[in-house]
Amino acid sequence: MTVTLVAPGSVSSRGHSPGPSARLRKKIELTILLGPALVLFVGFVLLPIVIAAYYSLFSWTGYGPLNDFIGLHNYKIAFNDPFFIEAIEHTLILTGLSLLVQGPLSLGIALLLNRKFRGRAFMRLIIFAPYVLPPAVTAVMWSLMLQPGGFVDQVMKSVGLGGLVQQWLANIHIVLYTNFVVLTWQYIGFGIVLLLAGLQGIPAELKEAAAIDGATPWQVTRRVTIPLLAPTIRIWVFLTVIGSLQVFDVVWILTGGGPGDASTTMATYLFLDGFRSLEFGYGSAIAVILFAFCFVFSIAYQRFALRRDTAGALTGVVG
Amino acid sequence: MRRKYTILPLTYLVAIVIGGVTVVPLLFVFVDGFRTTADINNSPTGLPHPWIWANYSSILTTAPFWQFLGNSALIATVATVLAVGLGSMAAFALSRYVFRGREALFTLFVSGLLFPIGVAALPLYLLLERLSLLDNQFGVAIPEAAFALPLTMFILRPFMRAIPGELEDAAMVDGAGKLRFFVQILLPLAKPAVVTVSLLSFVTSWNQYLLPLLVFTTTSHFTLPLGVATYQSQYSQNTGAILAFTALAAVPALGVFMFAERYLVAGAMGAVKG
Amino acid sequence: MRSRRACAAVALAVATATAVAACSSGSSSSSSTSTTTGASSSSGASASTTAKVTLTWWNNATAQPLLGVWQSVIKSFEATHPNITIQNVPIQNEQFATKIPAALQSGNPPDIYQQWGGGQEATQVTSGKLTNLTSAASSWIGELGSAAVGWQVKGQQYGVPFDLHVVGFWYRKDLFARAGITATPTTIAQLESDDTKLKAIGVAPIAIGSKDRWPDAFWWEYFALRECPAATVKAAMTSVSLGASCFSQASTDLTAFLKTNPFQTGFLGTPAQTGAGSSAGLVASGKAAMELQGDWDPSVMEGVSTNKKLSSELGWFPFPAVSGAKGDATAVLGGGDGMSCTTGAAEPACADFLQYLDSPAIQEQLIKVASPGLPANPAAVSAISFPAEQTAAAVDKSASYVATYFDTAMPTQPGENLDNAVANFFAGSGSSSAIITSVAGPA
Repeated sequence: MTVTLVAPGSVSSRGHSPGPSARLRKKIELTILLGPALVLFVGFVLLPIVIAAYYSLFSWTGYGPLNDFIGLHNYKIAFNDPFFIEAIEHTLILTGLSLLVQGPLSLGIALLLNRKFRGRAFMRLIIFAPYVLPPAVTAVMWSLMLQPGGFVDQVMKSVGLGGLVQQWLANIHIVLYTNFVVLTWQYIGFGIVLLLAGLQGIPAELKEAAAIDGATPWQVTRRVTIPLLAPTIRIWVFLTVIGSLQVFDVVWILTGGGPGDASTTMATYLFLDGFRSLEFGYGSAIAVILFAFCFVFSIAYQRFALRRDTAGALTGVVG
Repeated sequence: MRRKYTILPLTYLVAIVIGGVTVVPLLFVFVDGFRTTADINNSPTGLPHPWIWANYSSILTTAPFWQFLGNSALIATVATVLAVGLGSMAAFALSRYVFRGREALFTLFVSGLLFPIGVAALPLYLLLERLSLLDNQFGVAIPEAAFALPLTMFILRPFMRAIPGELEDAAMVDGAGKLRFFVQILLPLAKPAVVTVSLLSFVTSWNQYLLPLLVFTTTSHFTLPLGVATYQSQYSQNTGAILAFTALAAVPALGVFMFAERYLVAGAMGAVKG
Repeated sequence: MRSRRACAAVALAVATATAVAACSSGSSSSSSTSTTTGASSSSGASASTTAKVTLTWWNNATAQPLLGVWQSVIKSFEATHPNITIQNVPIQNEQFATKIPAALQSGNPPDIYQQWGGGQEATQVTSGKLTNLTSAASSWIGELGSAAVGWQVKGQQYGVPFDLHVVGFWYRKDLFARAGITATPTTIAQLESDDTKLKAIGVAPIAIGSKDRWPDAFWWEYFALRECPAATVKAAMTSVSLGASCFSQASTDLTAFLKTNPFQTGFLGTPAQTGAGSSAGLVASGKAAMELQGDWDPSVMEGVSTNKKLSSELGWFPFPAVSGAKGDATAVLGGGDGMSCTTGAAEPACADFLQYLDSPAIQEQLIKVASPGLPANPAAVSAISFPAEQTAAAVDKSASYVATYFDTAMPTQPGENLDNAVANFFAGSGSSSAIITSVAGPA
């Protein structure tokens, strides 16, 4: 079987005469295929979210009836709150770092793990293991290790880096970056697994053909592998950004957004100033704002990504 | 190809460093399960001294752990089967059919990614109450499946799109309908992706905390993360036991990954050999 | 929030006293053949026309010894009330904050549940699901004295306390002796000089769990109690406003105190109660000498340490006076745990059970076996055997007044905002004026 290069969007029922029975059949098939997922999704995801967005127009403690309609007032308060703005900054910093640091790291590791070497399967298991750990456990574990004089400090001292030891969790200037390191530890396995799946979809013949033509391994990687990996990378970028914008579990348990508000994210702010304070209306407004961030990115990204796809990409074997 | 092997030492070095950074904290959790709390407090980074089996053995021989494990497994399996089953059907529809509103529908599904589940928690809770699904494993599994749909479809659709149209045409010529094509040809070809989304779905469900917390009141229905939290409050002084419990709680998900990994590789091989 | 963690600690306590299972024969209450009038019983109960009643009870006793105490209390209550069955549902302390709002919003809240009074209870009352216990409790609520006021909303009894807490300094007598401190400090100035002596022997003077935020609030609130007269504090809690100038003065006092570096290294990242590295753990292991905490602290300390001599090494002293301050030098910060009935619960079964919990015999059993703090019923104070706690009880009794922790006295929203603002202040990223304005609106 050869991999045929097909232009995107042309996957259709070619060669069929679209008679009425075929159309009906198509409708039936679509209903069967899409129906259940749609029902499940609309019922258990969309509906609750729309209701939650409705809450954002009220001032509501979660008790009693919804009767304090304040329109968009919650949104106004949010954007006038310097703590919320700071939370947004922190979130954007974490997102940017995820792309710039985790991206190349994940890619490099995935490429390495795609080669055949002894213990490869074991390595894959190890890399993915942190992702499997509940964030609560990760955070508890790392907070133990990051205590003054704890494991991390001792290791650093033993390799001669003792001078660089900081108060990882108490120093308000670096605590955000401490969070980033722990987040990377936890989630990098996800990206690697994703990229590995993509790498394994790349036929070996193409790489061999390029090598036969005289390309060095690095050139093969750069000119053949990575471009063919592009769709997977695009997926990775999308999921990483969305995930970073919403990051909560690890940060919450590791530092609670603290000390003070040195490591707040939009989601920890939502939780602390919304739900914990029994301001469900305000919390829902923050959630809607968070959603808006994700949505704007998602629209912009689809447009950007799609444009690259149609502007003469290397192959059409893309999603 | 002798050229390839010159890179290998570098590969090994990186693998060791990465492996070390990844594994050491995990070992921390696992090994400390064999220590007494006094031991841990006295030397946080030492090896077990004395080495005790009591933590692990007491957890493995009492009912609650296995109850939690069973609940987590049941819920994660149901959620995964639902999410991947329905999700792959829907992804197929959105990738291999052309119809009006297709892109809009896909965007709609993907938009589910843009909300953290915590936001929908309260309305979801009330909905589940109305459906009498509270304190019920399905009350957790079904919403989890619903929330896993966006990611599942987001990953599956491009993979399914990439399968060449010729295969489909060939199947048509052979007399198979589109649905047969889906089940017998497309799904096997998309195996790496299907295995990946199954894995992600399973792990996400396994580690879910907020939803089970809201839904369950009876302890015997708890999932593992809830169980860990409860165990932690009950035995807060016993750091060693908590770490042992945590280590054990992570084992099943790791086991599933090991199992799935083989299929990830095999599926890719199959696609290439064709 | 802190009282909830307190209750978690309570639930973990290993009693310092001997465990005496005092079986109570408290049959003094009216024999309740609880036929309800229309209001159906809770989940799983039979119809209201029969006499059988089941009450679901959400409490935070997920661990011994309190779990055992409640189980024995249920047994003895059911023995004297054969038509009542109580279903014990222990829920982890931290999970209450999530589960209660959801449950009260739904159609099926628990019949009896634990809550911490004050403005939080007032917020819960707005759900319309809490039972007004004023008339049902009128015959016995007087036994509890002024403590019951903390569980009233607009003068109506919507909940009932079963134990009380007081916040003060828990200190290591042995470390004080080693540092040459002969008497516990009675003024802030003396406290500061004691801190210096402790630093000289290589011990962190005061431990604090700032990571969890709420311990910070104790400090600010105590300075507020010292600077502001009782009437000002009470008015502030009712009107939810910290505009009086004495509150700003409290911030100034706190700033000056923080400048003396009284806390352990890295205190901003130290948790309060989890693990040996927590502030409680530091005092237990002798790395720190004092902690300003509620009276659940000893049980927390025992839970995170293997120091067997702890109970003999611990002492208690009240928050010192601030020289020149216009507030009350003997005012005490405190709180407690209580229970409420929801409107779906069968009455008078529910109210009877609450009365049972506060009966002297059960209170004594609670104190002796679980030592959660101070009893709600003063008649049981003599059951306290831990000397340090006895000191606390005496101070509590002689205090001019007991102020509930501000984040409980005020409704949840401003309470949480206050805690956050104080935490930011401690971290050096919030101003003292932010503390004042925090209670006014979101964030």
